[in-house]
Amino acid sequence: MSRVILMILLCSIATMLPRMLPYFMPFLSRLPKFVRKCMNLLPVAALGALIFPLALTDFGASWYAGFGGVAAAFIVAYFRCPMIISIIVALVSTTILLII
Amino acid sequence: MGNGRLLREGIQDGLPIFLGYFSTALAFGLLCRSSGLGLLESQAISLTNFSGSGQFLMMNLFNAGSFMLEIVISVFFLNTRYIFMASSLSQKLDRPESVAGRVMSGFGTTDEIFTVASFKNRRLEYSYLAGLIFTSYAGWNSGTFLGYLAGTFLPDVIQKAAAITCYAMFASLLGGETRRNAKAILALMISGGINSFLILVLKLGTGISFLISMLATAIIAAFIYTDEEAGV
Repeated sequence: MSRVILMILLCSIATMLPRMLPYFMPFLSRLPKFVRKCMNLLPVAALGALIFPLALTDFGASWYAGFGGVAAAFIVAYFRCPMIISIIVALVSTTILLII
Repeated sequence: MGNGRLLREGIQDGLPIFLGYFSTALAFGLLCRSSGLGLLESQAISLTNFSGSGQFLMMNLFNAGSFMLEIVISVFFLNTRYIFMASSLSQKLDRPESVAGRVMSGFGTTDEIFTVASFKNRRLEYSYLAGLIFTSYAGWNSGTFLGYLAGTFLPDVIQKAAAITCYAMFASLLGGETRRNAKAILALMISGGINSFLILVLKLGTGISFLISMLATAIIAAFIYTDEEAGV
C-alpha cells in the first residue's frame, strides 16, 4: 500500500470515529463544559495557524502574492460573497501579483 | 409521510448544500492536482473523508512535508467537534435502533448537514437523512472530480497560483466568522503568531507546530469567547 493511500485511510478513520461513535456511545456528550467549549473553538483556533506563515513562505520571494490572495479572500467573504467567489478572486489576485 | 416524500424533502433541503460543496470541492480537486496526487487518489480522499476543513488541512500539511502521524492526529483533533454534533443528532433519530441508519447518519454528520437537520425540529427519519446526505455527498464528489479535470486545462502560472486556493478557503471561512464575531481576528493573530514563531524561529516541523498552535489557541480562546459565543 502506498504512503498516500495509507494517509487517506487513516485520515478517514480520524474523521469518521468522532462522527460515528456518539451514535453508539451516548455518554460521549457528557464531557466537562470547559472541554466542550475548547472543542467547539478548535476550528476557529485552527484557521490562523493554517494560513500563517505558510501562505507567505510557500511563495518564497513573492510572499506578497500569497498575502494579497489571502487578504482578498478574507475581504470578499466578509461581505457575504459565496466561498467560490472569494477563492476565484484570491486566485486572480495571486496570479496578477505573480506576473507583475 | 411516505418514504418517497421524505426522501424528496431531504434531496430538496440538500440542494443548497450541494451547490456550496460542489464549488468548494472544485477548489479541492484543483489543489490535489497541483499537489501531485492522481485522480483516483484525489477522488478516494473525498469518497472516504467527506469533510471540507479536514481534507484541506490534510493536503496543507501533506504539501508542507509533515509526517503522516502528525497529519492524522491534527485531522483527528480538528474533527473532535463532531462528537457534539453527532451526539445531538443521535438523540433526534426516528428509529435509533437501526445500526445501518446510525452508520449512515454518522458518515454524513458534517457541519452543514448537522445545521440543516438540527433546524428541522422533529424526529429525523432515515429516508429524509438519506436524501440530505446523499445529495451533499454527490456535490462534494462531483466537485472534486471536475476540479481535478479543470486543472488540466489551466495555464502554468495559474497552476502555480493555485497553491493559494487552500489558504483562500481558510481566509474566506475566517471572513464569514469575523462578520459573525470580531473576536475571530484575535484568534487569528494568536494562532498565526504562535505558529509563525514555532516554524520560523524555533524551526519546528509544520505538523507539530500546527497541532500546538491549534490546541493552545482553542484554550486561550475559551477565555476570550463567552459560553454562548462558543455554542456551549
